[in-house]
Amino acid sequence: MARHTGTFGSKLLPTVLYMVAACSAIPITDLLDRASQRSDQLHSLSTTLTQDLDSHLPLTVRLTLPRPSVCHTASLQTPNDKEQALQVPESDLLSLARSLLQAWEDPLVFLSTSANFLPHPAQNAISNKIQELRDHSKSLGDGLNILSGKMGPGARTISMLPYTGGNDVGQDTISQLINLNFLLSCFRRDSHKIDSFLKILRCRATGLPQMC
Amino acid sequence: MATQDVGAGPRPSPAPAPAPFRITGTRELMLRLPRASPLVRLVSLSSRLTGCASRRERALLGAAAGVHHGRGTEGRETGKTLLWLPLSGAKMRNVFEVMLLLLLLLLPLVTAHAGGQPNSPPGKPVLTSCRSPEKETFTCWWKPGSDGGLSTKHSLFYRKESSDAVHECPDYRTAGENSCFFNKNNTAIWVNYNITVVATNSLGSAYSDPVEVDVVYIVQPNPPENVTVSVMEDKGWPFLRVSWEPPRKADTRSGWITLVYELRVKLKEEDDWETHLAGQQKMFNILSLPSGGEYQVEVRCRPDHGFWSEWSSTSKANVPHHFRRDNSTWILMTVFFAFTFLIVAWLLHLNRHNLKRCILPPVPGPKIKGFDKKLLKSGKSNEIFSALVVPDYPSTPSSNYEDLLVDYLEVYVPTERELQLEESKDPHDDRLKSDSSTSDSDSGRGSCDSHTLLVDKEAKEEARQAECGQTRTEVQRSLKDWDALTYAQIDMVGRDVPSGRVKTWPSLYSPLPRHSSGPLDQQSSLQMAKQHSLSTSSFLAQEASGESYWDVCSHGELPRPLRAKTPPHRGLRARSDADVSGAGLKRAPAGPRSLAPHTSEYVEVQRVNNKDVVLLQPVVTGCYQALPGEVYSKVKRVDSDNILLLQREAREEDGYPGAEQENTTQKASACVYAAVLVQDQMAPMVNGYVDTATMCTLTC
Repeated sequence: MARHTGTFGSKLLPTVLYMVAACSAIPITDLLDRASQRSDQLHSLSTTLTQDLDSHLPLTVRLTLPRPSVCHTASLQTPNDKEQALQVPESDLLSLARSLLQAWEDPLVFLSTSANFLPHPAQNAISNKIQELRDHSKSLGDGLNILSGKMGPGARTISMLPYTGGNDVGQDTISQLINLNFLLSCFRRDSHKIDSFLKILRCRATGLPQMC
Repeated sequence: MATQDVGAGPRPSPAPAPAPFRITGTRELMLRLPRASPLVRLVSLSSRLTGCASRRERALLGAAAGVHHGRGTEGRETGKTLLWLPLSGAKMRNVFEVMLLLLLLLLPLVTAHAGGQPNSPPGKPVLTSCRSPEKETFTCWWKPGSDGGLSTKHSLFYRKESSDAVHECPDYRTAGENSCFFNKNNTAIWVNYNITVVATNSLGSAYSDPVEVDVVYIVQPNPPENVTVSVMEDKGWPFLRVSWEPPRKADTRSGWITLVYELRVKLKEEDDWETHLAGQQKMFNILSLPSGGEYQVEVRCRPDHGFWSEWSSTSKANVPHHFRRDNSTWILMTVFFAFTFLIVAWLLHLNRHNLKRCILPPVPGPKIKGFDKKLLKSGKSNEIFSALVVPDYPSTPSSNYEDLLVDYLEVYVPTERELQLEESKDPHDDRLKSDSSTSDSDSGRGSCDSHTLLVDKEAKEEARQAECGQTRTEVQRSLKDWDALTYAQIDMVGRDVPSGRVKTWPSLYSPLPRHSSGPLDQQSSLQMAKQHSLSTSSFLAQEASGESYWDVCSHGELPRPLRAKTPPHRGLRARSDADVSGAGLKRAPAGPRSLAPHTSEYVEVQRVNNKDVVLLQPVVTGCYQALPGEVYSKVKRVDSDNILLLQREAREEDGYPGAEQENTTQKASACVYAAVLVQDQMAPMVNGYVDTATMCTLTC
């Protein structure tokens, strides 16, 4: 029996080494390409979700009633315009993207649980889309983790941005909708940030400006 | 205009033209004002007139005052406002004064109304859109409301998301009328802008609804530039190659904006465009050109999350006319071939039998007699093969196989006469001369002729006739030689062997050729006998026409005769014209040969002398009669000393075989039964046959 496992182990090790080598042989451009595709999907999904939620809420109500003004990720310093963004080193860009994505892990859980009780006509569709959001977010996070290993020590740092919104979604229907709407808009923006950073990184990685 | 005659007042003549006001019979003052004219604030007037303005009047006036300019007929239906002012008759003079005052007041209004803009605060502007062409700057446009007749100024104010500071638009001109342009310094992305437009004039201001704008969501690039269309050819088939460049301002080279392109194409005279999605590439081939002519191509682009740009300017290309070798031609050809194919198929169908015979000739079935296909299909092999069996094939032998077995050996012993004859002829002849004349030509002895058994029926007769005494052979040799000569042991019947061993070998003795003649050296004769016995061992004589016999006559003391006896029917025919005698010492002068040729004679062992020599003598013919039942044709076993133990043949008499050895003493006669030959019992021997050569080697 020992000999049997020994042969199996001896076969396993080269296989693992081969796979590791093959994985590391995927060029960064391809990895970034995949990641940016994933982030693009994520942002599109969040956009449609916000539009679905907004459709039920009258515009006047939305504007007049008070709403929380600051997203929980606002504390993270991100570039404000193109010049600033293009000056940020790549590892920092990746770190920002990873931090943002990490910051939305818990709020998305909260979103999905509260979407189950959403007083909205399209509640089922919204609930499904939120679940999709979570799946995409998870796979993107995994991809970025892999990428971070290849882009320098700065890429591995993640800023913690705890979600302080709590689990209180509001008492009445309107406030519920407003709070959820606000949360989704914050997510939409952050997903756009992640998408932009990854596309900048992708273009830089190719080295051919005309290919971007 | 209904008037009412109330009192005795003088009936007023019908007014030639409707006056702005009239005084009705009742004490009501009806003021009719032109439709579009603004209302005069008559509150003070009316209150002065009446002293107490009714609530209704005040409401009417207030409503009239509150109506916006340009809002239309809100609050006013007919353009007529009725003011019923209760008037007392005593104050008619005052009324007149009031009317004059009103006229004075109304006049400038009327004139003013007929001349220019009414003054009102501006109408509410509306922000139509804000767009950013490259995600670095953006512009907002609004649509102004009514300006209220006065010069209205619009201003845009914005407030960034996290701060409360309100800023005004930095640039009203760059983007044109009613626009605000935010340059790079004033544009922050991922920040919500709260934008409001205010229209102000001397009479007031109007605020638009605020709009929240995030620059990244409002990107709409300029159309692609440098759209070039060229006509190229691929294997004689023309196609269009369209290439373009991204809009100048959009920074795609750094990855800040990712653009996706789309183009559309149509013939000049057509109305419908054919659109193609080109992705992120900046070149596209249009392959499906239905025909020649002038083609028009347009391209547009869109960022990954944004709005489509406008279509670029039209690019034109002239495609030469080419032979439209596609649809109609192919259809014609297809129809033609299908038609031909159908005809051919129909013809084939009509002649299918002939064709079948031609292409697939009938396979000849098996024509084996007795072969039944149905049986074959049923799969029972026994029945098939039994059906195949022809009754009289193969020919089965009627007799049993034992007839084919040769189980005895004929040893031919030449008679004295023959020996003499032969001797006279050639005393030193080679003994190996075969005696063809006396040999039997059949009985399966083909190769065994010369030095082998010589069956001679005549010899048998002669041998019989020969006297026993005449032929005497003294066999003097070692036991070994005797072994060579014969290889069968005959049990002594009640004989005492002086040396304790009696060995007689009459039976399987291969006789030497008949015409060996002359005094032979014993040794050589023995050798010959060896040779003969060699062949004898493999030889089974079929013919049993005589007895096998020996005749060995020996002189001297031969206390015991040994009889070799063989059944008359199957006997060992030993034929030897060799001088089996010993040293030839005691040869009878008449007959140098001891063995009787051709005759069945019995050999008797007279004695075994001290030198281990068996001396034989001819047997009394009394012993001739072979007991028919006693056939020693089987060798029971071989003793270690190369002694063959013969047994009676099991076939004729059962139960006998083993008894012979025990019952030897019972035999009255001294006949010794010669053993007949061979086969399987000689297991240790090769092939079941007694191989004298081997025997010799064993013993020699």
